Amino acid sequence: MTPVRLLRDVLLRNPRRLAEIAGWSVLETAPAFLVGFAVARAIDDGFAAGRPGTGLAWLALLGAAWVVAAVGARQVVLAVARIAEPLRDELLAHVVTGALRRASGAFQAPAAVGSAAVARANLQVELARDAFAAVVTVVRGFAFTLVSVTLGMLTLLPQVALLVLPPFAAGLALFLISLPALARRQRAFLLADERTAEELAGLAGGLRDIAACGAQDRIAVHAEGRVEEQSAAARALARVTAARTAALAVGGWLPVVLVLAGTPWLLANGAAAGVIVGALAYVTQSLAPALNGLVEGVAVSGVRLAVSLDRILRSAPPAVPVAAEEPDGHAVELRAATFAYGPHAEPVVDRMDLLIPEGDHLAVVGPSGAGKSTLTALIAGMLRPDAGAVLIGGVAAHRAARPGRVLIPQEAYVFRGPLLENFAYLADAGRARVERAVAELGAEPLVARCGGYGGEVDPGALPAGQRQLIALVRAYLSPARLVILDEATCHLDPAAEERAERAFAARGGTLIVVAHRLSSALRARRVLLMDGGRTWLGTHAELVRAAPPYADLVGHWEPEYA
Amino acid sequence: MEAEEVNTSNAQNAAVAPDAPPVPGPADALDPRAGDRLVAATVRRGGPWPAVLAVAAVAGAVCELVLPFAAGLTIDGFVTAAPGRLTWLGVCAALVTGVVVCEAAAVWARGATGAHASAWLRRTLVRSILGAGDAMRARFAEGDLVTRAGLNAEETGRAPESLVGALALAVPTVGGLVALTLIDPLLTIALVAGIALVLLVLRAFMRAGTAIAAGYQDAQGRIATALLDALSGVRTIAAAGTEQRETARVLAPLPALRACGMDLWRVTASAGAKAGVLVPVVEVAVLAAGGLRMAAGELTVGELYAAARYAVLGLALSTVLGYAGGLARARSAAGRVAGVLAVPPVRHGDRTLPPGPGTVEFHGVTAPGLDVGDLVIDGGSTTAVVGRSGAGKSLLAALAGRLTDPERGTVTLDGVPLADLSRAELRHAVGFAFARPVLVGGTVAEAIGLGAAESATRAAARAACADEFIRRLPQGYATPVTEAPLSGGERQRIGLARAFAQANRLLVLDDATSSLDTVTERRVSEALAGGTAARTRLIVAHRPGTAARADDVIWLEDGRVRARGTHRELWADPAYRAVFQRHSPPAETPRTAVPEAVT
Repeated sequence: MTPVRLLRDVLLRNPRRLAEIAGWSVLETAPAFLVGFAVARAIDDGFAAGRPGTGLAWLALLGAAWVVAAVGARQVVLAVARIAEPLRDELLAHVVTGALRRASGAFQAPAAVGSAAVARANLQVELARDAFAAVVTVVRGFAFTLVSVTLGMLTLLPQVALLVLPPFAAGLALFLISLPALARRQRAFLLADERTAEELAGLAGGLRDIAACGAQDRIAVHAEGRVEEQSAAARALARVTAARTAALAVGGWLPVVLVLAGTPWLLANGAAAGVIVGALAYVTQSLAPALNGLVEGVAVSGVRLAVSLDRILRSAPPAVPVAAEEPDGHAVELRAATFAYGPHAEPVVDRMDLLIPEGDHLAVVGPSGAGKSTLTALIAGMLRPDAGAVLIGGVAAHRAARPGRVLIPQEAYVFRGPLLENFAYLADAGRARVERAVAELGAEPLVARCGGYGGEVDPGALPAGQRQLIALVRAYLSPARLVILDEATCHLDPAAEERAERAFAARGGTLIVVAHRLSSALRARRVLLMDGGRTWLGTHAELVRAAPPYADLVGHWEPEYA
Repeated sequence: MEAEEVNTSNAQNAAVAPDAPPVPGPADALDPRAGDRLVAATVRRGGPWPAVLAVAAVAGAVCELVLPFAAGLTIDGFVTAAPGRLTWLGVCAALVTGVVVCEAAAVWARGATGAHASAWLRRTLVRSILGAGDAMRARFAEGDLVTRAGLNAEETGRAPESLVGALALAVPTVGGLVALTLIDPLLTIALVAGIALVLLVLRAFMRAGTAIAAGYQDAQGRIATALLDALSGVRTIAAAGTEQRETARVLAPLPALRACGMDLWRVTASAGAKAGVLVPVVEVAVLAAGGLRMAAGELTVGELYAAARYAVLGLALSTVLGYAGGLARARSAAGRVAGVLAVPPVRHGDRTLPPGPGTVEFHGVTAPGLDVGDLVIDGGSTTAVVGRSGAGKSLLAALAGRLTDPERGTVTLDGVPLADLSRAELRHAVGFAFARPVLVGGTVAEAIGLGAAESATRAAARAACADEFIRRLPQGYATPVTEAPLSGGERQRIGLARAFAQANRLLVLDDATSSLDTVTERRVSEALAGGTAARTRLIVAHRPGTAARADDVIWLEDGRVRARGTHRELWADPAYRAVFQRHSPPAETPRTAVPEAVT
């Protein structure tokens, strides 16, 4: 979605809101219509004519108009807020969806998706909301003021409008002409500002490593380059902003001089002294501030809004259609499946053939970086092969319906909420079933620690092993017939790990375990060894005989735990 | 390892507290006047721009002040056909020109002043932060440091602008009040009462606004935390296809957010309306008072016009709160910036190393929470440092390569105190690898070699078993670090490669292989042992296998060396074996901070 389309949707979604804003705006700009006229009448018909009562009456009317305007102004702010707040909600939803979608698409999320990135995204949303409200407010205020003042001047003396409106229009035109250059500079400044902030964040976060590498000078030169870029952008922005005052000079100040110079002509056309004061009031009280607000609001908030919206909207990749094909059973089959993390990267999984029949218990072993997690992600349908096929029950893995399989990764996902909700995340399980699963996996101490099933879980306060136990109970309860444990028990002690793996083996269905310890491989029916692009498949005994890297692996594997 | 680092810095603060001069709190500098001096320095460093700004702002204000007087005379002149009317018209035109020119100059100068000032501050800050290195980390949290170097430097840079703004404000307000008093003292009283009301309204707004803003930020915080939780579990979510449900869970506080948001708008709208109505109402009051005097023949039309304008000019005083706030912010920001600049830089000598095997000697070394005493690590040996979490292993490693300086005593490398070595010599001699390395540099190749030749970079990557997976990255060695999908173990191996490429005498591995599986770790160890340069290796280890392969083991307990010997010798002691049983198996880096698992 483009920023323009989003804004149009937000504005037009609820025409009543717009009508509301327009109505209150009429009240808010009532003084813009009245100010010159009332002052002129107060002087000419009242004070100058020796009728102070009449003068005071006109001024009282003007004062009342200002009070009504204040009420209008308040309502306008609230009416604009009623559009801006939903926009903020929508943008936040966009940020959240985008972050989750991007992270799940990247499978191993780049480090960039951290708390800093989340904070930045939040800030962008707030900036966009404020900028949106500001732009709507000033553009609307300008339009209504211009109409009110024009009507007021025509009521007062049409000749006044002849003196005021042409230079005002010229000033407005000047501003509009300079707007693209101004917007470019403002944008460049905002981007340079962000880059500097990122650079400083990187510098602060890497202090230990920078010192350890002796890279201070290198980093300093780079950072100073960024600082200088930002400073140059700020100075360039200051120059065009200074030039922008030309528009205000022509549109706001020239009419003042013209009204003063045109006084004899106005007097000759039937104006009294009060009309001159009234005309000046129109310019200085209403027109000039409105133009000032427009210039300021559009040039600064408008650009801010465009930049922020662009950032937010670009952050979310398009939605991936929901996988929903019902597979025929849960046999896993890879046919010459190939996967690489980029077009120029070497494949991690290279023309791999593999058949895992239903009910199999397979251990996947190999050195780190051999592609074990990539293989599980392909089977889970989170990644799509670049070539060949990965099939679940005959259906492409990324299209097959998800509830049939479950993958528990090393970093267990536990969310803030009741323990029971965490357990029942993937299943509609009753209390009795949950209790059985907890008993099977030996998670009773965990339940006690959390204060029972209704206890609130604070993910940050739980040790990694306890978090893994929650994820295991959850997977155990799920209806999935294909369970993939990707080092999902690495934080458990060997005894707890064995208990968990035996429970899953007894649970039925297909079990794939990426082994962290040799014992996991010994428990499996078959073992898949991945090492530097080559693979071997067989029982433990077969591999010890036939696969030299496996024998090496077994020989060195975890002497400390053996 | 993370936990140890935290403990160390806490211990540092605690140790300094009783007798040494107080450590500056996170909010202020050592010297309360340091901030003000920094503001003054910032003004001086602004070149001609602060002066241009001051002249333009004051001259513009004077022109604007005189204008109503001249305009009033012009109007009266035309109405009564007085002789000087065209001259006054000319004066008006000249004054308007003056206002416009001064405004343009002031806008330009304001921007340039701020840009120069904050750039100078940031350059100074960057050098200061990098120069102090680890000491900076001990004193300021990472996010705090970023705020100080970013936002606070910017706010301090605006100090000249706020100063000049407040100064220039005096001209129209004082002038307006004086002019008004000259016309009629009653008008001045009406005006002052109006200003007081405006200030009261704004103050009330600030109070009410702050409370609601806290609720708003709380709801925002809950959303951010839930999102971070979900991101850390993204593989589970992606595999289960529950993205939509997670989105709903993360966004659950939205209604609360909106309620607070609308309350905030309501407060803003009410305050804005009250403050907004006061100015015109006061002006109308002045017009009425003036009008009555005009009816009595004591005031001309032109004077009435001038009086109304002076009332508006005088009301500009209500903006003084803004300038005062800006100045207060700039001063407190300057204090925070000065706090960073006050951290002394690490001093380096200019000596170079004589030829030698890389022998490290500790002479009577103590550091906060660690008492090493005398200790020799033989050149060319592999020494493992073991001990429970918090025993001081990371601190010992940091001392050996001068990432941290000891409180007392000296550490030497081949007989030369580390503090006497030039920075280049030191970093060429010592390489560090960490459990969670932060990769600096644009691409993976730069992160390893930091400018070294490509062949050396690749050789180092091969030795760290990193070459293979780097070539599988989206753009191989040219993949930007921030875009590389790296697991904890892969990140560690890039950090190892970086240390390999750098060190030619001493290599310090601080838990740097914790995320590697045993086979990879074994390969890395072999590369280490058979490395070309005769290097001394100091390895903080959690696994018995690593300690077993070392020539020598230093066993730390509660900040002291409990025993020294080979792994085989020490293994007989049940307390030694217990050190290893307490540790959890290697963990891939979790994205949220999780305390070390004790299972």
